[in-house]
Amino acid sequence: MTNTQHLKTDVLVVGGGTAGTMAAIKAKQANPEAEVLILEKANIRRSGAIAMGMDGVNTAVIPGNSTPEQYVREITIANDGILNQKAVYQTGKLGYEVIQELDSWGVKFQKDTYGNYDLKQVHRVGKYVLPMPEGKDLKKILTRQVKRHKAKVTNRVMATRVMVKDGRARGAVGFDVRNGDFVVIQAKAVVLCTGACGRLGLPDSGYLYGTYENPTNAGDGYSMAYHAGAELTNIECFQINPLIKDYNGPACAYVASPFGAYTANAEGHRFVSCDYWSGQMMLEIWKELNSGKGPIQLKMTHLDEDTISEIESILWANERPSRERFHQSRGENYRTHGVEMHISEIGLCSGHSASGVWVNEKAETTIPGLYAAGDMASVPHNYMIGAFVFGRLAGVAAMEYVRDVAHLEPDADWLAAEKERIYKPLQNPDGIPHTQVEYKLRRIVNDYLQPPKNTHKMDIALNKFVNYHDTLDLMGARDPHELMRCMEVHFIRDCAEMAARASLYRKESRWGLYHYRIDYPEKNNEEWFCHVNLKQENGNMTLFKRPVEPYIVDVNLEEEVYDVKVTSK
Amino acid sequence: MYDDISDELKPWVEMLQSSVLEDRLVAVKTLQHMGDEEAIAPLIQALEDEDTNIQKIAITAIWELTNPIAVKPLMACLRAPDGEVREEALSALKELIAPADLLMLLDAIQEDNFYMQLNVLILLRKIHDAQALPYVLPFFESEKEELREAAITTLRYLNQVETCPPALNLMDDPEVTVRRSTTLTLGYLRDEETVELLCEALTDDPDWQVRRNAAQSLVLHQDDSSIPWLGKALSDEHWQVRKFTARTLQEIADDSVIPALIKCLTDEYSDIRRDAAIALGNIGNPTVLNALQQTLDDPDADVRIFSQKASDKIREQQGVAS
Amino acid sequence: MALTNQRVDVPVIVDESKCLEKCHACIEVCPLDVLVKNPETGKAYMKYDECWFCLPCEKECPTNAITVQIPFLLR
Repeated sequence: MTNTQHLKTDVLVVGGGTAGTMAAIKAKQANPEAEVLILEKANIRRSGAIAMGMDGVNTAVIPGNSTPEQYVREITIANDGILNQKAVYQTGKLGYEVIQELDSWGVKFQKDTYGNYDLKQVHRVGKYVLPMPEGKDLKKILTRQVKRHKAKVTNRVMATRVMVKDGRARGAVGFDVRNGDFVVIQAKAVVLCTGACGRLGLPDSGYLYGTYENPTNAGDGYSMAYHAGAELTNIECFQINPLIKDYNGPACAYVASPFGAYTANAEGHRFVSCDYWSGQMMLEIWKELNSGKGPIQLKMTHLDEDTISEIESILWANERPSRERFHQSRGENYRTHGVEMHISEIGLCSGHSASGVWVNEKAETTIPGLYAAGDMASVPHNYMIGAFVFGRLAGVAAMEYVRDVAHLEPDADWLAAEKERIYKPLQNPDGIPHTQVEYKLRRIVNDYLQPPKNTHKMDIALNKFVNYHDTLDLMGARDPHELMRCMEVHFIRDCAEMAARASLYRKESRWGLYHYRIDYPEKNNEEWFCHVNLKQENGNMTLFKRPVEPYIVDVNLEEEVYDVKVTSK
Repeated sequence: MYDDISDELKPWVEMLQSSVLEDRLVAVKTLQHMGDEEAIAPLIQALEDEDTNIQKIAITAIWELTNPIAVKPLMACLRAPDGEVREEALSALKELIAPADLLMLLDAIQEDNFYMQLNVLILLRKIHDAQALPYVLPFFESEKEELREAAITTLRYLNQVETCPPALNLMDDPEVTVRRSTTLTLGYLRDEETVELLCEALTDDPDWQVRRNAAQSLVLHQDDSSIPWLGKALSDEHWQVRKFTARTLQEIADDSVIPALIKCLTDEYSDIRRDAAIALGNIGNPTVLNALQQTLDDPDADVRIFSQKASDKIREQQGVAS
Repeated sequence: MALTNQRVDVPVIVDESKCLEKCHACIEVCPLDVLVKNPETGKAYMKYDECWFCLPCEKECPTNAITVQIPFLLR
């Protein structure tokens, strides 16, 4: 017997991470009388991509160091021209306000002795990187602000679907991952902030949760937006990162490089010039690894004791603090060993690359009443500041939208069908465990979808993903916790199918390694200078071209290429 | 006690008074996680618990509530006998302290307690107020090197302080930690002897970090009289001194340092080869083009890219077709 | 279908002599929700092998009863 909880709110925020907490705070600021509810499958105190804090801001546009126009130009080049500049401009324009507001809430950014923000240059041009050596408490600070603004929080409830009626988002359903209650939330607007799809590819270690992203981020929002009928975009532009091998955490070259550390090949020589992550840089790393000059490493052995100690104190306190014991357990030390690096498994994340739910400069998706922000919303290279900016835009826009909207009763048949879908694994406690079903799915992703991509492999992948619906039906769960993991495997499957279809559709190569096709190795601007969007239409996944909006900042893409490699004459 | 608090908090606040240590630990931890501002008074009282673990968790909990009424009680923790308690309180205060707390800090710094003095010197860096100067100066002559170092570092953060003759004496301090920090602080001072002192430190100090810091500070002064000294420092035995010297020479340099910079193009360290190439490009003398040409096939990608850029820049300035 | 009880090396180790029965700090902060109380002993343990080795459980434990290791497959 499943208990059902009925909740009602004006604005529902799904996911209480970076974007979600900010969306809730800004919605409450816009109208303190209205109700805002954050639904979080973990506990907002420690959840999302920055659960353990963050050691720096990647995209801080601060007056005197860079301008929003420069920032838009940089991202336009880094993302090979495929972007909605108006959306990216928001991150450049509003990022400074976000930083000032976070500062006033107690978030500590690095400042020089005059008390000004102390920015570092990591991108090709312009300074955008602002260290946060004491950024470990970011999530606690956001939680405090959510509380102060009196937004409600429901922890340990996972959403599975957005409710849509008359073409508008009307709430969401899900279940309590501890007591198993079926939870129905009526809302006038829904903001999806569920993060990346970090469990798409399988890490080389074979450990399902040894991912770069927080493994709770299983592509929930990509899948929910898709089933709600929203458009998604740039899904073929995968996230692939240069990470510490096996540990799968960032080596944080951009933290260590101002101290003199750098990414090098086995001989200790730099082979890429820029430590800013881009598909072009990843392609150079992939080539270096495949040229026999590997392994590649973050080199610090040439630095002195005091400098290394300082780097350690920053790296080991923030973001992924367990890296200290990772190195220790292997008997490795920055004084004597380079940090061996490797290419990560693939994922979907617009915070790093560009794949996500289509949003405009107001964080609106293509479904009225449905908003998206953070890693799952397609605003290229948006990183943490972009998540805050779009959380803020989404919160404000959603609150504006709900003024003229009434609650609607959910459709009883639809609810019954969704309930049956969710709880099916519990009816079959001896079914195949979610771990095995997930492992096989993600191994197929690695085998057939990892770049370099080719048509034959991706055809196999697509066929397997489509047929995987039958495999999902075999899954069994013994308790609500296992049920949560089962439903995450459903999300991952949806993301895998989207990734295969979008990659097959774009018949060219673009974004360096992110969409490197062996059968179409060249960029083809004549046919493919456009977005590849997809959506559900009559139950089918439909793909189509969406033109790139006219630029608001002029960029000459022929002349300004992303030169991470040497072009000596 | 605490009659007006909510029913949700009450059991935990009562448990915090328990005689059983384990119960008090559970209570203080739970109150921290609840994050309810009503709990601030009992948490402040827990700062005086006999157990240092409780004290530490209470500090963290109060810190997370960021209520200014906690500043005073937290200040008292800065002189606690337990090092971890002091450290946690200092971290919390770094966030909570506001310019309005200046007078309180200046009172506290006069207390005859080493830890209090050291921690307040650190907190003054958050306020950047030159009014603190007379209270910082006496520590330049402290017998304790930690206080001398903290004071000279704090001086750097006091905006508007442009000259400070007593600070210059610390360039001769027997302790390297003090000299390292003094060298950085001198980057921000405009006393007449500053550049000369930095040039001497750059070439003569036995500690390489002092020499490196001197190179860093000289870039802030942009004084042509330092160029010959910088040229000499390009052959320092420590690579980081050479690196930061080359970087400073990217901002101020003339033809006199060209031979030394060219020598750096074959330095063992790629950073120096790169930074020297950039400096040569900035000087703009076309006689270095041959030397730069040879670094175009350097094994290091950064060196290749930046020496190419330096060559292009010189040719452009000369109007020579590349 | 048959299910086996295979042993796995779990990353989160709880020192039961230090774990407090009334305390739920580690359970509340785990992003993956893998820790639960053993109903018989009242002590916390890692029930699900799904660890991101992110450390809040260890850091929030008021008695330092928890040690997190890097999962065996990675270390």
